[in-house]
Parts: sequence; structure tokens; C-alpha cells
Amino acid sequence: MIISVLIGLTIIAQAWLIVAVVDNVFLQGASFQEVLPELAGVMLALGARSILQYVNNLTGIRLAADVKQEFRTDILRHFRSSPVRAAGEGQSGGRISLALDAVDELEPYFRHYYVVMMQSSLVPLIVLGAVFYMNWVSGLILLVTAPFVPIMMAVIGRNTERKSEEQMEKLNRFAGTFLDLLRGLTTLRLFNQAGKQAAVIEADSNAYRDATMTVLKVAFLSALMLEFISMLSISLVALEVGLRMVVYDQLSFFTAFFVLILAPEFFASLKEMGSAFHSGRGSMGAAERIYEELDSGSETAARGDLERKGPPAFTFRSVTFDYGESRFALGPLDLTVNAGEHAAVIGPSGSGKSTLLHLFSGLYEAGEGTVGVDGRAIQEYEQEQWYADMAYVTQHPYLFAGTFRDNLRLGSPDASDEEVERAAAWAGLTPLMQEMPEGLDTVIGEGGRGISGGEKQRTALARAYLKQPSLLLYDEPTTGLDIETERILQRAMNELSERATVITVAHRLHTIREADRIFLMEEGALEAQGRHEELRQSSRNYQNMLEVQQGGAGR
Amino acid sequence: MNVVRTLLLKEKKDIALSILFGFLAGIGAVALFANSGYLISRAAVVPPLYVLTVTIALLKLFSFTRALSRYGERLYSHRATFTMLSRVRTHFFERLIPLAPRLSQQFRSGDLLARVVGDVEAMQDYFLRVFYPPLVMVTVFLATIAFTLFFSPVTALILVAGLVVTGLLIPLWHESREKRRLPQMRAERGELSSSLSEFFAGFRDLALNNQLSRQEEEILQRSTAYEKLKQQAAEERLRSQTFSQLTSFVVTWVILAAGAAMTAAGNLEGVFLAMLVMISLTVFENTVPMAAYASYKKETTEAANRLDEVLSDDSLKLPEAAEPVQLPSGAIPLSWEGVSLQYEHAVRPALHDVWLDVEPGSKTAVVGASGSGKSTLLQLALRFSLPEKGEVKASGIPLANVQEEALWERTNAVLQEQHFFYGTVEDNLRLASATAGKSDMIRAMEQVQLAYIPLESDLQEGAANLSGGERQRLALARALLRRADLWLLDEPVSSVDPLTSREVMRDVYEAAGEATLILVSHDLQGLEEMDCIVVMDQGEIQEVGTYETLMQRRGLFHDMKQVEAQVMQGTG
Repeated sequence: MIISVLIGLTIIAQAWLIVAVVDNVFLQGASFQEVLPELAGVMLALGARSILQYVNNLTGIRLAADVKQEFRTDILRHFRSSPVRAAGEGQSGGRISLALDAVDELEPYFRHYYVVMMQSSLVPLIVLGAVFYMNWVSGLILLVTAPFVPIMMAVIGRNTERKSEEQMEKLNRFAGTFLDLLRGLTTLRLFNQAGKQAAVIEADSNAYRDATMTVLKVAFLSALMLEFISMLSISLVALEVGLRMVVYDQLSFFTAFFVLILAPEFFASLKEMGSAFHSGRGSMGAAERIYEELDSGSETAARGDLERKGPPAFTFRSVTFDYGESRFALGPLDLTVNAGEHAAVIGPSGSGKSTLLHLFSGLYEAGEGTVGVDGRAIQEYEQEQWYADMAYVTQHPYLFAGTFRDNLRLGSPDASDEEVERAAAWAGLTPLMQEMPEGLDTVIGEGGRGISGGEKQRTALARAYLKQPSLLLYDEPTTGLDIETERILQRAMNELSERATVITVAHRLHTIREADRIFLMEEGALEAQGRHEELRQSSRNYQNMLEVQQGGAGR
Repeated sequence: MNVVRTLLLKEKKDIALSILFGFLAGIGAVALFANSGYLISRAAVVPPLYVLTVTIALLKLFSFTRALSRYGERLYSHRATFTMLSRVRTHFFERLIPLAPRLSQQFRSGDLLARVVGDVEAMQDYFLRVFYPPLVMVTVFLATIAFTLFFSPVTALILVAGLVVTGLLIPLWHESREKRRLPQMRAERGELSSSLSEFFAGFRDLALNNQLSRQEEEILQRSTAYEKLKQQAAEERLRSQTFSQLTSFVVTWVILAAGAAMTAAGNLEGVFLAMLVMISLTVFENTVPMAAYASYKKETTEAANRLDEVLSDDSLKLPEAAEPVQLPSGAIPLSWEGVSLQYEHAVRPALHDVWLDVEPGSKTAVVGASGSGKSTLLQLALRFSLPEKGEVKASGIPLANVQEEALWERTNAVLQEQHFFYGTVEDNLRLASATAGKSDMIRAMEQVQLAYIPLESDLQEGAANLSGGERQRLALARALLRRADLWLLDEPVSSVDPLTSREVMRDVYEAAGEATLILVSHDLQGLEEMDCIVVMDQGEIQEVGTYETLMQRRGLFHDMKQVEAQVMQGTG
């Protein structure tokens, strides 16, 4: 606010001093030496104005950088404590764009809107006051015409702005269509349709251009009206001061010139506020998107600091879970797994097997009820130690950009090269390592491109081996085409299982048969549980599954 | 960049009008303020009334000129931009067509394509912010300078100096300082984007391995680095703006001082002094767009260069058939003769010394683990690339001598990445066959058991509103509408439930009739009916034979069947 007052004052000082110089030499016949003090003053005022604006904008730039960093920190923290939303189904593209693009879109607000509001909010008032003080008629002209600027912006602006925003959206969608065509170019070529599409693009682009132009025309017209208002107002002021000087002899040259310099400054600052308002609005949408995400999803509770050792025992008491949307809900589940037992979770796809596994892992938190571990709630255990003593072998482990070594010792960062190599050999990765140009130092790309699915699973095995966990979660492969990996997985899991509680999402009959407990899931509920023999007696669904399986094997 | 300029210059009329109106708008404002300065100076010395009347009339004229010209300028410059953009899009699309299969093959994530689109759209700034602002600025200044020359050569000279500094020196200085920052900024943004993508895509593995904090730290570090560069760039631009403004202030001051000195000395008539000061205060508003000129110039030039890079990337070009040979009609036999291929940046060859004969009209299945080379086998048959060693032949003709269009015309290829366009189901089916009627389409939809989806229903981008299995069946429906002598199917029903997929595939086999068909599959069910089964492992063919012979051999295929027998059905 102070800066706004200061800028207003420099504008007035600048105008005053310029006028004084011209007045003195032109009408008062002063010599050059006599106006030197005023000239020096003009220099000072102009310099001060530049510096003030520079400082003010600099503050905005720094503020924007700080705020954006804060928002990124908040977004990451939010996702971190809300694993369901971070790791949830669907593309991660939207989440990345939130943390990257949406945050970037906040910039104009702080860099432009906020700064201009700080800077210009008082400038028109100060300028207007000065004009009124010197010549109330000119002041009145400005005062009467000025409200037309916001009124015009509101009346014409509201409709056209919405329309032009719609049109901008269409432009983005149009760019999307272009991307769509590029992505499908192979398909188009295979169907021999690519040539035709080029003509379509041109026709669509031009049609789009014409539609946009009609909307833009209205927007430009409103700008034209604004321009008219300010230009007419300024020329009205010029006319008024000119006439009053000559015809009525009411005004001095000094006053007239002073008013004439200030009038455009007045409208310039009004227009600046208008455009700042516009650019601030774009940021609002981004801010809404960010807050919507930050406010959604429950965040996980704080973890305790209990330490534990050895294979854990689980007790689920009326455990429920949902993804915050209506599509899927799990539970309430009551179940027990004793320390060192091997449990198999089975059921059709979408029945909640993976979700259940995530509840065992502690990554997802029960909505209601408690997941108990050795008689205490799972949240009471110290998180880092809990994860360090657990391994999760999934069907699609993620390989990170970095060296092969770092990928292998992801969960055991302190493992020596010797240990890493032993783990890799144990998981059947020696052939891959030998093929890699730099062995353990070979840099693997994002997502591990170029490494087969089986090798990724083996990498997960090596990670598990390095941890020697007492809780083992295992997502058994659904297909058996990778014979080598199949063999390795079987041997490895048997070894790791010896000293651990094991929960397997199972697809193999032998795994299921040998499990100490089977949990048969159906649409988020526990349909049946027990050992193979028991379920074969008691569960109709289980019998059906076995029948289908034997039918399949027979063919 | 030259291409874009050439395409732009086709809009001669709009460009000329934009510049004309831009000039009129700029000069209109200068004239308006000059005139009003003159008016009051004149008024101060009590002139004859007609002078005042004329000046006042001019005042109105100039303010209307200014406002209307600004309107015309906006209208024509935007028209020119949009027309140019449409030309640019079409131009690049046409030049990307020949690169298609490899473009999507090598950049699966679609990042590259998104970048191409972004770069094409970036060209809209070229005309609006790079091409014509300097032209308008220079013409307005020249006219103003010529005008002031008439009253005060010294003032004209000072304006020239001001123009040189604000219009040339400051943008050049800014450009030289920005040169390195822009690529750096893009690189930092890329890094930030990829660590964010790892954070989300690998979230579970990071969380369960206690690595979230480390990744979070890394992201924030990269964000800091990126923001720092952005901040520096913004500060640089602000500095350039401030210097520009300061220069215009200094120029006004010098004109004021010189004018004052000259008036005092009697070398300049006092009535013109206010006018000259007003001119100087106004004319520099035309230099404002020049403050951002350098960054936009750099951005558009780089975008254009990147586009050129993609277009001239030889690794994306399909090899051309030097002396094209026609494929004989009828079912197309295929043979791979000692074929090896290694993709760039891959640790091992995708295919190694593959020998395989596929008889005309036969039905072949290719099975094997992920990454065993099955898809590469098909892509070579589609001539997406030529093998490094050995040859792939269709009807005995090396594919190097076959034009890809000639091959594709005869082929029904259903690849793993099938694309569907924004539009109706019918639009998407129509791609496959221009002649197919509605009844044909409905029949095809029935055959793939999608009869419950009406032809006129809308598909979102990438058919995101269909399930994976529905998308696969829609792709098959497209193939069913075309007659072909060669069917190449890459896991066409991997997301379809076993019962439905068996029924759908039966229709596909029937439609293929006498054509040669190769099916890549990870499902071992129903392979008894195939004429031949090829088992692949690590880029090599391990076994070839009928279901019976392979089972008797008790090799890899037999082992796969053993595992499959253990897999519980319906526990996906």
C-alpha cells in the first residue's frame, strides 16, 4: 500500500515538474539555468518511479517462487499421507499435472494480479485527487467517464469473457484433437487414411478459426469501446482545458498542461488493473483444482513408535475400506492369521484381493475397525521399521531411473556390493547382469524400459532377499508363460517363507492347497475361509472354482 | 523457422493490414497527445479561433483513428495467426505421416507427440509477438521522427537514440542473457516431471521400501532448481522492462531539457515544447512488447528447431523400397530368414537369428513370456523396420523391396496399441472401410459381442469410456470390416474373458478364411486348432510345431501348459 502511494506521488511530481519546466521557459521566459532545479527534480521523480516499480515487481516474482514451492510441498505431503489417492487406480498423469502445471499456473496471480493490486490500487485515486485539486472540471470529467471502464468491463466483458474462455477451452481441446490424430497416426496409416486426415485438419482448423474470430470480434469490440471511452475522455479534457483557457480565460497554462499529462496516467492505471484482474482469474481455476485435491481423501493417522520382531500375527476386527467413491467397498472383515502362517487370498478379479493385501501391508488404513498386529493396532508400530521388515513381491514392480544396483537395494540402501550381487544371483538375475554393459552400474531408464516383465519380478525378489523379511506379501503371476521366472519364484518364495508370515494373492492350485488358511473373496466380502479340505466340503463357490480349474486343465 | 515464416507470409493481406492498423494505432496516439500539447500551448498565447477549431477537430479524428485502428490491428493479426497455425498444423502432420509407425513405437509414453503438438501450437506466438511488433514499432518511430525533424532536429536525433536503445540494444542484450537459460529451464522441468512421475507410478514400491522421503526431497530440490531458473528469467525480463522504461524516461527528460535550453536560447518556438514532450511520453508505449520479444523469439525458434529435428531424425524414417515389387494376389506366405534385430538402448537383441516359415493360408500362434520377441516378430512382418541381419519375405519377396502401403492394403493388423479417435463408434469403424454400410457395421459389432454399443455412441479420446476388453473387441470389429490376405494379431483378446474371447476368435478365424493368420497370444487355451505354434524365449524361437507334437516333445510349451493347469481360472 505504501508503495502504491509512493508511485502515485512520483507520477504527480513528475507531471508537476515537467509542466513547471515548460511553463517557465515557454511562458515565463526563464533561462535554462533557472529551470535546472526542476529538471533535476524530473530526473529524480522518473528514476524513483522506475525503481519503485522494479522493487514491487521483484517482490511479486520472489513471492510467486516461494508460494509455488510451498504448494508443491503441500501437495507432496498430502499424497504421501493419503496413499490411496497417490497410488490409486487410473493414470498418474493427472496427479503429475496437478503438481507441475497447476502450480505453474498460479504464477500470474502472484506475479501480476497481486503486484498490480498492491501497486495500482491507490494510484488512480491519487491522480484523480491531484486533478481535482488543480481543476475540478477536468476531475469531474474523469470521474464521470471512469466508471464506464469497469461498467463496460462488467457488462460487455462478462458475456464475451465467458464465451472467449469457452473458446480458449475449445482451442485446447482442438490441440487435443491434433494430438489424438498424431497418436493414432499408425492406425490411420494401416487403414490408408492418413492423407485424408490432413485435409480434415486444415478444414477443422479454419472452421475453428472462423468461430473463434466471431467471438474475438466481440471481445475486441469491447476493448474498442474501452479505448473510445478513455480516448474521448482525454480529448474531452483537452478540449475543456483548451476552451477554458482561451474563451473563458479561467485556467493557466500550467494547470492545463498538468491535467493533460495526468489524464492518460489515470486511464492507464485503470486498464492495468483490468488486465491484471483477467490474468488473476486464470490462476483461480488452478488454485481451485489444487485445493479440491488437498481437501479430498482422508489422510492417514500418525504412526506410533512400538518396535517388533519376528513373524507377525494379524487380527482383523470389522475392518472396512473404501476408495472414497461409491464404486467399491471392502468389508467388514473379521479374520486371523497366526504368526508364521501362510495365507492365500483368492477370488475373481475386482473382488478386493489386492486391497486386502494393502491393508495387511499397512499402506492402506482401515476405514472402520482395526487391523491388529500381535495384539496392538498396526498404527502403533514404528513405520520405518515395519516396512523394513516386510517385503512385497508384486506382478509389476516399478524400476526407477538409476543404476541397477540402486534398484536392487531399494529397501536396503546399506547393502554392500557383495550382498547385492548375491541377492541378484539368488533371484536369477546373473544372466541379465552379464548382458548389461556396465553390470550393476548400468543405468536403467524410467519404469525400466527394455527389461522384461519376468526380470522385473526377479528384481523384486532380490529386493526381498536383501530385506530377509518376517512379513512377506506376494502377488502370484496370473500367467505361466515365463517358465524360468516361474521356477525361480517358486524356489525363492519357499525359501523366504520359512521364517515369515506370508500372505499370497494366489492363482496356483498348489499354493492354495498348501496354504494354512484360504480367504475366498467375493465382491469385497469374505465369502469363505479355511483350509483347502474344509472349503472343499463347505463352500459351493470354492467347489465351482475347482471344477472350472479342472475343466481347464483337462483340455 | 524458415518453414513457419514461409507459411506465415502466405497471409499477405492480413499481415499488411495488421501492420498498417498497428502503425495507425501507434501513430494515432502520438498524434493525439502531440495535438493536445500543441492545443493548450496555442491556447495559452491566445490564437485566432480557427486554429483552435481545427486543432479540436483533429483531436477527435486522432482519438477515433487510434481506437478503430487498434481494433483492426487485433482483428487482422489474430486472423493471420490462426490461418498460419492451421497451415503449420497441416504441414507438420503431412510430414509426420511417413514417420508414423516408428514415432509411436519408439515413444510409447506419448511424451514426444505431446511435445510435437506443444511446439506446433507455440508457433502462434511467432506472428503476434515476434514477427510484427518490431515492424510496428519501427514504422511508428520513423514517422514520429520524421515529424519531429520538421520542428526540432535535435529532438528527432534524441528519439533515434531512444529507439536504438529500447528497440534494439535492450532486446539484444536480453536475448544474449536468455540464450542459455531457456534450454536449462526446459531440462529442469523435464527432470522435475520425471521425478514426479516416479513418485506416483512407483508410489507403492517407494512407500514399502521407506523411500518416500528421499523421493520427496529429490522432487523439492528439483522444484527449487526449476523455480530458481524461472525466477531468474522473470527477473531478467523485469530488468529489461525497467531499463526500457528508464530509457524512455531519460529520453523524455533529455528532450525536455534540450527543448528548454533551446526555447530559452530562442532556437525553438515555445508553443512546440509541450508537444514534443507529449510525443516522447507517448511514442515509447510502442516499445513495451519488445521487452518480451527476446524470450518469445527464443521459444518459437527452439520449438521450430525441435520440430525440424524430429522430421529429420533418420531413425524414425521407414526404409524405402528402392525398386518396389508387386505382391502376387492371394494369401500371403511369410518367412523370416536368419533375422536379428536390436533396438537402440536395449541391453539385448529383441530377435536373434530367427528362422521361420509361415505357409500361405495357415493359422499360426506365437507364444512366450513378455519380452520374448513376439511383438517384434509381427512388427518386422509389417515392415515397421528392416532387420539388421537376415531378411523377412512376403510371398518370397524381401520386404525391403515392397512398398509399405502395398503391404498394409492387404493386411489386417490388430496391434497392442490400437488407437480410437474422438468421435462416434461409426466414425471409428468407417476408418477401416469406406464402403461398409451400417448393416455391415452392426454385424461386425455383433460378431465381437459389442451389439449393446450403438454405432452412434460417442467415444472419448482413446476410447477411455470403454473397458480394455471392449476396446480390444472394437479393434477386432474394425478388422472384420476389411478383407485381407494377411492377418497379424498381437494379443487381441488379452483383456477379454476366456469364454467371450473364444467365441470372438472363432468368428475372426472364420472371417480370415483362406488368408494367412498369425496370432500372438499369452493364452494357451484353444491352440489345438492352430496349424502351427511357435514358442519364443528371449528373442529366439525355441520350438515350432502343432499342439500335439509340442505336447509330446515335453519341452517349453509342455511346461507352460503344466503351469497353466495349476492356474485357477477366473481368479484374475
